[in-house]
Amino acid sequence: MRTFLGSLTAVLLLVTACGNGSGTAGDTGPIKIGASLPLSGPVADASEPAYAGYKVWLDRLNRGGGLLGRPVELKVLDDGFDQNAVISNYNRLIGQEKVDLLLGTFSSKLNLPASTVAERHKMLYVEPSGGATEIFERGYEYLFFAQPSTSVDLPEQFVAWVKSLPPEKRPATAAYPTQDDPNTDVAIEAFAKELGALGVRPVYSQEYAPETTNFDTIAAAIAAARPDLIVHGAVSADGAGLIKALQKQGFSPKILFQTNSPSVVSSFPEAVGPANTEGILTSVAWSPATPYPGNAEFVADYTKAYGRPPTDDAANAYTAGQVLEAAVKAVGSLDQRKLADWLHANTVQTIVGPLKWDERGVPDGDMLLAQWQRGELEIVAPESARTGGPVITPKPAWAS
Amino acid sequence: MTGLAQTLAFGVLVGGVYALAASAMNLIFGVMRIVNLAQGAMLMLGAYLAYSLWRATGLDPLLLTLVTAPALLAVGWVTYYLFVERARTTDPPTALVTTFGLALITTGVIALIWGNEWRLAGPGYAGRSFTVAGLHLPQAQVYACLVAAVVLGGLWLVLNRTWLGRSVRAVAAGPEGARLVGIDVRRVWAASYALGVAAAGAGGALLSVLYPFTPSSGYHWIGLMLSIVVLGGMGSMAGSVLGAVLVAVGEALTSAYLSPGWATAVPYLVIVIVLLARPQGLLGARLREDMSRA
Amino acid sequence: MTPTRLRRAAIAAAAAALAAFPLLSDNAYWQNLAIMAFLLAIMASAWNIISGYAGYVSLGQSAFLGIGAYTAAIAATALDVSPLLTAPLGGVTAAGAALLLALAGRRTRGIAFVIVSFAFLELAAIVASNWSSVTGGNHGLALPLPTWDSDYLNLPFYYALLALLALTVAGSWAIRRSRLGAGLVAIRDDESKAEGVGVPAARYKTAAFAASAFPIGVAGGVYGYYVSFLEPAAMFDIVIALQIVLAAHLGGVGTLWGPVAGAFLLEPLAQFTNQSLSGPDAGSWRLIIYGGLLSVIVLFFPKGVIAELVARVRRWRGAEPPALPGRRLTPVPRALPWTPQPSPGTGPLLVVEGLTRHFGGVRAVDGCSFTVERGSITGLIGPNGSGKTTVFNLLDGGLRAQAGTVHLAGRPIHALPPHRRARAGLARTYQATRIFPSLTVLENLLVPGRGSRAGSGTGSVAGSTTRAREWLEFVGMGEYAGHPAGRLSYGQQKLVELAQALMLEPRLLLLDEPAAGINPALVERLCEIIRTLNRGGMTVLIVEHDLPLVLSLCDRVHVMAEGRVLASGPPGRIEHDPAVQDAYLGEHTTAGAAK
Repeated sequence: MRTFLGSLTAVLLLVTACGNGSGTAGDTGPIKIGASLPLSGPVADASEPAYAGYKVWLDRLNRGGGLLGRPVELKVLDDGFDQNAVISNYNRLIGQEKVDLLLGTFSSKLNLPASTVAERHKMLYVEPSGGATEIFERGYEYLFFAQPSTSVDLPEQFVAWVKSLPPEKRPATAAYPTQDDPNTDVAIEAFAKELGALGVRPVYSQEYAPETTNFDTIAAAIAAARPDLIVHGAVSADGAGLIKALQKQGFSPKILFQTNSPSVVSSFPEAVGPANTEGILTSVAWSPATPYPGNAEFVADYTKAYGRPPTDDAANAYTAGQVLEAAVKAVGSLDQRKLADWLHANTVQTIVGPLKWDERGVPDGDMLLAQWQRGELEIVAPESARTGGPVITPKPAWAS
Repeated sequence: MTGLAQTLAFGVLVGGVYALAASAMNLIFGVMRIVNLAQGAMLMLGAYLAYSLWRATGLDPLLLTLVTAPALLAVGWVTYYLFVERARTTDPPTALVTTFGLALITTGVIALIWGNEWRLAGPGYAGRSFTVAGLHLPQAQVYACLVAAVVLGGLWLVLNRTWLGRSVRAVAAGPEGARLVGIDVRRVWAASYALGVAAAGAGGALLSVLYPFTPSSGYHWIGLMLSIVVLGGMGSMAGSVLGAVLVAVGEALTSAYLSPGWATAVPYLVIVIVLLARPQGLLGARLREDMSRA
Repeated sequence: MTPTRLRRAAIAAAAAALAAFPLLSDNAYWQNLAIMAFLLAIMASAWNIISGYAGYVSLGQSAFLGIGAYTAAIAATALDVSPLLTAPLGGVTAAGAALLLALAGRRTRGIAFVIVSFAFLELAAIVASNWSSVTGGNHGLALPLPTWDSDYLNLPFYYALLALLALTVAGSWAIRRSRLGAGLVAIRDDESKAEGVGVPAARYKTAAFAASAFPIGVAGGVYGYYVSFLEPAAMFDIVIALQIVLAAHLGGVGTLWGPVAGAFLLEPLAQFTNQSLSGPDAGSWRLIIYGGLLSVIVLFFPKGVIAELVARVRRWRGAEPPALPGRRLTPVPRALPWTPQPSPGTGPLLVVEGLTRHFGGVRAVDGCSFTVERGSITGLIGPNGSGKTTVFNLLDGGLRAQAGTVHLAGRPIHALPPHRRARAGLARTYQATRIFPSLTVLENLLVPGRGSRAGSGTGSVAGSTTRAREWLEFVGMGEYAGHPAGRLSYGQQKLVELAQALMLEPRLLLLDEPAAGINPALVERLCEIIRTLNRGGMTVLIVEHDLPLVLSLCDRVHVMAEGRVLASGPPGRIEHDPAVQDAYLGEHTTAGAAK
């Protein structure tokens, strides 16, 4: 086996030499864009629509003649929600596939190390997801977030709505259960702070581990505290899990806000019971109904290609593509430094509205407040993006 | 006081499902001395089967254990001969890596068939509770616990009242001796592995009503099932039932009185404490090869 | 060139190639692949120390990666220095944490230990995610980008891990060649026997756990800086733990280079399955293909792909060592390699009083008392089930007595652990031989070390080797020093086990049915050896079924029945003792009936 080691090294060197020999593609071939997505593992359900969102953007781009007069190719690798793999993948994309541009991956957990690889290689990195505060506090120059705002700004619309209520209709007490997750817990913290300033008294505040599936004891503790409002920092299935447990407790708060979960239109209503969705609030980055330029086209293209309407995650991926596209078209080259500089200085029109970034790569757009009304997820705020009726309050009791 | 009683009630009700899942793993461990890391993925396979049959036919997912258990029995039989048969004959790491490989394959196949979105079967009673003396007893949990008890009872009958069961116990006591009295040890191994997987299939159907699941949700069940097996005693079915209730109550109490953030640590703490303090578990026989002399 | 020189040249060439590689190519992909392969090789090589050599299969070894990474990152932030400088601190913390796992390794083994180590890993992850004031919890810890010029990119990581890999392999080599290494393999083969020949198993295992965790901890410090972001789920990852196991398996568990080679094979394979697939179903297919590879590899190459290929090539080239030829027995030398010193004190050498051990309701040994005179050959006989072997197990500490005392040369030894009893001057052989099959004959003798009575047995390895060869010559096994002990015949194994016991230079030699199952010529030789040893001044206690042998060999005989000594005296008198005849006749009738 010792000799084996030697021969392995020889093979390694040989292959490398060949790899180098091929050199970078010239300026006439297709432009290569690379990304890695967690297409397997616990967040695979969010990544598949994201992959589709990238594809829909790419197809539209190529139908319109590509970028800089060249067709565009997209190489997407799977990282299985594994940091180790996401680093290897971006290194491979940059070093081996010699991609010209990068697109980001999904979740804060993966975007943190992946953006580091990009920054080290001085490559523009537009991420469709990953709103955790830590990402933007490292002074990176090539990093841009393609959602309207980060987790800290999530409460904005909801708090504004609570403020608009007459004092007697405002919630007096609130429960704040949240998954121990870098995205949701900052959001929930921000909720608690801003609602506290309005005089809403916290009566329950606990984090649970990401693996938690059994919410019975948590729901029992919340029910015992009888809050008017529950703000739940959910990530995916835990949203439905807590609602089921609340139902079994026979406890329905006057107002229920959950992050993320209620926007998964394919499984949320089925899991909690279609009638039980009525009145549940959430916030979304995007809505199929908003009148931003290109949005209707995106929804139509996506639905045609995949036979179902796009999700929030798909829209976020599409937005990231739009941001990249705008920068390349405006700069007229693939010079990564110039692309980053341009994005720091300009506003990009996207399907989630106009986006503009500060020096950290944090956008200043608005998240949308959405509510389940009569079996549909409708936008209820801001007024300009409204699709549904006025906010239903108080939330009706559980149907069964 | 109702708070505590309510917490204990939750623990005991969940304990039934835990007991079924853990007994499945314990059967395989007791007879073959391998830790089947694929057991969690098999639970998920059972859950997805029950879910799609519920969607397609509207039949009750809990009653669908009658379908998922035999289906998983077949899966267990096939995978035994494809994977486990060879792994069994060698050292523990081989069996670990093999069954982990099997877990990955199963998870991949589930994702290919059903996609990666999380699912939860929602029959009418899923959101309702019985109220007894001020305690909420969720109907889904009560029914699931009853079904688990029936399946466990059936398993117990098979192991204690049939020729197959006697062979299984003989092989568990010592394959060499069993061979001497004319038992086809290979087939007994295959049968107990398949039975263990079938029990996981039944457990999966119960889970499909209780908690949302994704193809990769099986992983955290491995630690949970192992802790119950270890606590109750490796190879002891009664021990698994007792261990399941204790672990479930422990989780519920931790979640209610300490912090939900530490509830997931309970199974692992149980493993460490039990194996250090009383390696044979509560009701298990001492395994000489598994421990140093104290 | 000889195979050894060829091998050395190959290793040197591979090392040089790896050292020169980043200077020749600045391809980030290959550098990253190499870095990941180094990381896995370090972990697999370190894992091999505790799990390969000592046989304690750990599924928790990747916890040390996380512990090292967090320590190095937190220390670097606090001290405001590069995490590369604090990486060794990570190793120290990891080694400290390994002591906890070692504690578990003292109480459990086999599959139970595997489960504990898995729980250890998961608990470490839960602690890291809940202890958020220090670790940042699930928000993780972000580390600054490296300060060096971006032209160097990954070079510092590359060379740091390459150097660490070299050190780990060198350390693993040194351990395997040392007394510690032989002791660890002995523990894997037969832990209680190892303790019986004086191996301080608990101490050795603790050392091995620490030695195994340290490099992984240091690597964690470097790796954490490389990924620039630490998060509990990724740092305490069961998948990494299984990759370690798999890499070691690919190459060959318990070998020096196997885990390294396995890692170099596995990492590209893993990346290939990640990266060769594209499309939304890629994730599912990746799981299926990777899972399939795992299973196929361990199922079809249980000893390791590389180890089996090497074995196959050897067989093909006819390089397999030839079958051991039957050799004529050489006469037993007249002189011993070592002269027993007179034991201190007066009176009998061994005094056993009231020794008792019950198993449930069975009174295996029930108030057994007897003495062994200095310089005697004493026999312990009795029918089957009379408790003879249990007495031996109680004497050497393999079993704990429930009551009674044992004094050796005036010193109470009944409270000592087995390895201390061995050091006190007690050595034994077993009824069914229990040599260490994975070690060579010579290594089998090096496990106890030499002149153990002097203390902790830390005498020079060179001195021990000389003495070991002398004892092998003495029992007539000198020719077989380099052979794997597991391939010897039963009789030969008995001789090796005797030589192994003699390495302890015991005051009292316990022989458990030395003549059982070997041919008459060898029995003759064995008697010769025992007589020569006794003439040289060694006291011997024999349990034996073969009555004529005992009667011809022993000065004094104790007869046991039902767990106690029934009669004692010189062979001539015992032979005609009616009580003895009763006991044996009784046995013969029941034994005959049972058959």
